[in-house]
Formats: sequence, structure tokens, C-alpha cells
Amino acid sequence: MNIIAVLAAFICGLPILAVAAIALGGGSTDYLRHLAETRLPTYLFHSAYVGLVASLTAAVIGTGLAWLTARCEFPGRKFFTWALILPLAVPAYVAAYAWLDISQAGGPLDRMSWGLFPTIRGTWGSGLMFALVLYPYVYLLARNAFTGQSADAYDAARTLGASAFGAFWRTSLPMARPAIAAGMALVIMEALADYGTVAHLGSPTLSIGLIRAWSGAGSLLDAARLSLILVVFALVIFGLERHGRRRMQVQTSSGKQRPARRFQLSPLQAGLASLAAFMALFLSMILPLGRLAWRALREPVANGLAQASFNSLTVAGSAAVIATLVGLTTAYALRRKSVLGTAAARLAGVGYAVPGAVAAVGVIALLSGIQRWLDPTWESLTGSVFPILLTGTAAALVLAYLSRFVAAAISPCETALARVTRSLNGAAKTLGANTRRRLLAVHLPLIAPGVASALILSFVEILKELPATMILRPFNFNTLAIIAHQYASDERLGEAAAPALLIPLIATLPMIFVARYLSSSGENGARP
Amino acid sequence: MKNTLTLFAATLALAACNPASQTSDSASAESEGRVVNVYSARHYSSDAVVYAAFTEATGIEINLIEARGDQLIERIRADGERSPADVIVTVDAARLHRAEEAGLFAQSDYSEFADRLPDHLIHPQGYWVGVAQRSRVIAYSNERVQDGEITTYADLADERWNGRICVRSSGSVYNQSLLASIVAHEGEEAAEAWAQAIVNNMARAPQGGDRDQLRAIAAGECDVAITNHYYFAMMANSNEPADQAVVEQTTLFFPNQDTTGAHMNVSGAGIALNAPHPDEAREFIAFLVSDEAQRIFAEMTNEVPAVPTAQWDNATLSAMMPFTQDDLEIAELGANNAIAQRIFDRVGWQ
Repeated sequence: MNIIAVLAAFICGLPILAVAAIALGGGSTDYLRHLAETRLPTYLFHSAYVGLVASLTAAVIGTGLAWLTARCEFPGRKFFTWALILPLAVPAYVAAYAWLDISQAGGPLDRMSWGLFPTIRGTWGSGLMFALVLYPYVYLLARNAFTGQSADAYDAARTLGASAFGAFWRTSLPMARPAIAAGMALVIMEALADYGTVAHLGSPTLSIGLIRAWSGAGSLLDAARLSLILVVFALVIFGLERHGRRRMQVQTSSGKQRPARRFQLSPLQAGLASLAAFMALFLSMILPLGRLAWRALREPVANGLAQASFNSLTVAGSAAVIATLVGLTTAYALRRKSVLGTAAARLAGVGYAVPGAVAAVGVIALLSGIQRWLDPTWESLTGSVFPILLTGTAAALVLAYLSRFVAAAISPCETALARVTRSLNGAAKTLGANTRRRLLAVHLPLIAPGVASALILSFVEILKELPATMILRPFNFNTLAIIAHQYASDERLGEAAAPALLIPLIATLPMIFVARYLSSSGENGARP
Repeated sequence: MKNTLTLFAATLALAACNPASQTSDSASAESEGRVVNVYSARHYSSDAVVYAAFTEATGIEINLIEARGDQLIERIRADGERSPADVIVTVDAARLHRAEEAGLFAQSDYSEFADRLPDHLIHPQGYWVGVAQRSRVIAYSNERVQDGEITTYADLADERWNGRICVRSSGSVYNQSLLASIVAHEGEEAAEAWAQAIVNNMARAPQGGDRDQLRAIAAGECDVAITNHYYFAMMANSNEPADQAVVEQTTLFFPNQDTTGAHMNVSGAGIALNAPHPDEAREFIAFLVSDEAQRIFAEMTNEVPAVPTAQWDNATLSAMMPFTQDDLEIAELGANNAIAQRIFDRVGWQ
């Protein structure tokens, strides 16, 4: 089992290794020196800046909303519980195109506010866009933590005279910290890997720099080298997150002895809670997608949307299931703390911080290498040519998705597994439960919400993935993200609207199903 | 765990089968009729119309992959001899040049198009032909700029435009191509001085696309903007009142009419070196420069047709034509692209 997990994680990491091989293999160029003398410090600064704005803002929004839906009762709570995940299905660059359109000089917000509303642009603007569409990472993971927490500490704090907020701040929040940190790490890495948003809003991050090295200077080699900096960033973030988690382990309480009840808020508080949840949806989805839809009214509807929806659904669905299985087995491997397992898991995870275009290059290099090696062997054995790997199948696409997004599946599974404490496992063992029974009766109920989160996160990520899909897809194969981007990049926002609206719509289908399941398990748990 | 593994395998199989079934469709099309595999960096509605017309006229089915030019080049390069690509279409000169440098094109005799296409749009060794062009132009505010106050790219460097220019980021291939042409005409040093002056004259840090620069003129944020001619044409042809208002408040002109001519970027196509269907590829390229395809490019994408004699019906584009075009060698434009990129980095053009 452990071997399979290590192997699977390792395969997911191969494309990034291929990129590293490209980066380290080529001869020396003077482009990096040129960059170091000119733009590199700017790129590094803005990457750090955008990651910070995005993750901190997402942490505040995500944690706040998670606490409200997990521990408070207010009008619309059941709806918001799952709907608040939906903004994740809005590609950040779509939000950016719409927000710049609304807020720039001459746009409706600018006119309505007599020019007082700031233009959403630059690095802080990009960070804000990421926070708006990525806060669900923090929300999902933090919410699982809050619903799984025992109420003992919180109640004790209240009995000792702490205010509701004080008790939250000093007991519930610290216990949820590993989950929040895991969510923030995902937000940072996605912000670092993004190209479309920062390019449109004018934020010179490192991913801009490496795409420029490739497209402007024509040096894929230097682009690969620059992407190694992002890989190092990712490893540092992983390290920090692990460090924090290890420190927390002692304090995490086990099991669900006495789950927390939800508070009945006062009418005013309840109103504000509903408003806060609504605002999150309004700013991240309703306003930007509404703007696109409004522009769409004047445009013809794009062709091939039905086929593209089907393609998006099947590719994202199957790849997400694989990613989740890999994520879960990897999380178990990580639990064993074997050096090999940890290394493979980290390798698989770093792809998340690398721009999709670069990960795709890794996949191309990898598969064409295998092809070149297979061709003569196969021909000498069978006398016929080996079928072409890249164009013939979706293997390339699935591999690219795994190398990019398996981190989004590993993190939730890992966080969920932390709930299965050693003492719990030991107790089950003492009671004579075999491995199978321990997994089904003890592990499964505890980790199910986390696994469901992993499934949703990877599904939605793959649904909106763009650069790798574009270059690795088989002939005549469109997805909604591709159609939306092709119009948006040509500055035809109206025509981009229909596919851009369909992405969250399609994401809703599995999400409602999983959310129902999640909230029902949450409800049961909350019963006193 | 056994069940999990079975599920895992089943999903893998499913994932591998699904798009593969589409390829088997194309394989069956191959046994019945003729196909051509097109790798295109273009992605316009006009192209779908051109492709449909091609299939209608020749019976040849098209298999299509559209992606960014650099990615297409990388994929074809990596696939090597096994690449199924028949035709490579790019949207700008630098990518055309880069694909040529990477040895991705097959030579072909395009002399039959010599009386239809200008000389510089047929590669001297027959690697590719130009199929459509877009011009990098300047637009200004009708209110705040006098007609004739600005006539060349060089004028933009003048101090009088301090804090008045809007232009998108230097990541845009169109900006790279424009600067590459200035490097070709005036040398690297002069080009750097020009780029530095533009950065000094910017009204704001680069943001948004070409249309957003035009909108910024209408909103009073700047007085002149650099844009591609067809974005202006698209707004002029749009039904949206806000776009119409922008067009009414701005004037577009083709720079350098008395000197080098307005900068032109070229969308070109060539036959892939290892094309499995070279005859079909050849027919496809011939169709791209046919009167029919040229008309569709001019009418639907507002591009300047590569074939000067082509007829079309598009009042907005007609009003812009004719103008003096820069007929710089594409190879020179392509080779200067990397130099242009470094200049942008040095002068801090974001």
C-alpha cells in the first residue's frame, strides 16, 4: 500500500522533475544575469506581495465564514454552507477581467462613485481577486476543523468569563490553525502560479517574468530555470506549514466526544451574518459574472458550448477522482513519516506553485522522452509503430492535472487524517479491530468530509485549468475554460460570458451532492 | 483497499478512453476521406468560418488544436518525427521566425502566389506565407489633441506627451513586435531611448488590453494610446453604446505614413516538416490566401488582408484603407524580438 502511494505521488511529481532537468541540463545563457540586473528583484517582490495579500485576505474571509456557518445559526445558513464554496469555480482571470471592466476609469463603478472607487489593478488588486475566488480553500478546511472540534475548550473559556469572540480567538481558532494554514498555503501557491490575472491587472510577478523569458526572449530554458524559484517558494511554504502543524499536534483534541452546538444569534447579529455571507458571493460571483452576462446580452452565443461542457465535466470528474485517491493514499504515506513517502508527497505537491504552461512543458518533455525510448523497442518487438502518446490519449492531460493539482487533494486529506489521532487508532486496535475494520469504522467517518473536500477542490481546479489543457488536449477538444479564455483574451468579454458562467454552474452539480453529504454529517455531529 | 484500486483502474481507463474516442473518430475519417491536422495560434470566430468553408470546398476534414504560439512550437518540436502536425499557423512574426529557426517548417514552392501576395509575405525559401496582418497604430482624444499634432511613433517620445500616454504591458507580443521594428529601422540604442521616453510619458502603469487603453482616453485618463487597428474597428462595429461613445471621442491614425509606413504584424502559415498529409496541408494554405478566406478575415476579424486585391464588405475597415504599410522583412522582425524584450526590461516598461 505504502509503495503504491509513494509511486503514485512520484509519478505526479515527474513532470516537475522533467522541468528541473530542462532547467539544469541546458548550457548557460546570459539572460538570467540580464534579469538579475533589471527586473528580477521586482518580480520577487511582487510575487511575495501578491501571495501575502491573497492569503491573508482569504484567511480572514474564509475563517470568518467558516465559523459563522459551522457554529452559528442565521437565516440562509444551510444554503450558504455549500454556496460559499462556489466562488472557487470562478477562474481568477475571469473575475479580474470583469472587475477591471467595472472599476476602471469610465466604468460603471467609477461613474457611480464619482471616481472615488479605486480601480482594481496592480498587485494589491490581483491579490484581492485571488482572495475573492480562492477563500473557499480556507473556508472548506477551516469549516471541517470547526465542526470536528469538541466544544469543551470553548465552553470552558466562556465559563471563565471570556466573550464569545474572545473564546473563539483563544480556543477554537488556535485549534483550527493547521487547517487554516493549509488553506492559506494553497492560496499562496495558486497566486504564485497564476499568469492570466496578474498579466491583465498589471502586476509583475515571477510567473510574468518566466512567461516573458519564454515568449519574449524565446528561451524556454530560462523560463524553466525561473520556475525552479517558484518550486523553492513552494517547498518553503510546505516546510512552514508542516512546522506549524507539528507544533499543533499536541494540542489537537481527539474524536468528537462532545461536539459543539450552534449559537442562536441575536436578530441584528444574524442579519449581519447573512449579509456577510451574501457579500462574499456578491463580490466574487454575482457582480463579476453579472457584468459579463450583461455584456453577453448584446453578443451572439458562442458555438460548441454543450460539447465543451460535457468535455469539462468528464475530464475534470475522472481526473479529480484519481487525484483524490492519490491524495488520500499519499496522506496515509505521510502519516507513516517514511522519508521516501514524505519526499514523494512534497515532490507531487510543488507542481501546484508552477504555472500550468510550465508544467505542461514538463509533461511534453516527459512523454516525448518515453515515446522516443518506446518507439524502437516496440518496433523491434512487434514490427509495428507504437501509438503516439501525446496526441492519441488524454493521458497527457490527466498527468498534467495531477502534477498541478494533487496538492489540492493531499492537503485536505492530510488535515482530515490528523483527526484520526494515534490514541483513537490505538483504542480501536486494543478493542481487537483489524485494519479493515479500523479503516471503515473509525477512519472513514472521521475523514469523509476531508476527502469530499479534496474531491471538490481538485474537481473545480481542473474544471477551470487553462494553459496545460490548451496545449495538451487531443484534436478538436474544447473545454469551457478554453472557450472563455479565447474570447476574453481577445477582449470580447460578452462572448466569454456564457462559457464563464457555465463553469460555476457545472461545478455546482457535484458540489450540491457533496455539500448535502457534508452538511448532513455536520448536522449529525452537531446534535447534542 | 482492493475496491479502491479497482475504482482507480476503472477511472484511469475511463479517462484514457474518453478523448481517445474522438481521435478514433478522426482516424475513421482518415480511412474514408482526407484530413489535415492544423496547429493554430489563432482563435477567432472568423477561423471557424474559414475552416468550414475549406471543408465544404475540398471535402478535407480539419483536425484542430489551438494554443499559444510558443506552446505549439514546443509540442511540435518535442513530438519530432512523430508529430501529426500538417500546418502550423501563428499570429505574429516572432513566432513564425522561431518556428522556422526550430526547423519545424517544410519547404514548399509558393511562387504561384507571387502575383497575389506582396514579396515580404512569402518566405524566400518557401517555409511559410503570410495570411493576414494587423497594424499597431495610435489613437488620440478628439478633445485634447489636435489633428496632425502627432504623426509618427517617434512623436510619442516628445516631452509634450508627458503623463498622457496609455499603453498595455510589454508582455504583449504586439508591443514587442513594434519595438522590434524600431530596432530594425533605427538601431538598438535609438529604440531604447524611445522606449524609455514612452515609459516616462505614461499616464499610468500598464494595465488591461488594447481596448482598455482606448476606453481610458474616453474616460479622460490619458490623451493618446497605442493599440492594434482591429480592436478599434471591433469597437466601431460593436452594438454597445459604451463602445460607440469611445469611438466617437477618439481618432485612430496610421503612423509613419511619410517614412517607414505603419508597423504590421503578420499571421502566417506553413507546412510542417513531418506533415503526414502534405498535399492536404498545401491545399489548406492555398485556401487561406484565397479570395474567399481573405474576405472572411477582413469582414469578421477586421484584419488587413494579406492579398491586396481581395474584395470585402466592411465599412469600418474600408474607411481605414489604404495606408502605407511597413514591409520590413519578417525574419528581421522575428530576430529582433528578443532584443526588444531586453530593452523593455531595462527601461522598466512593465
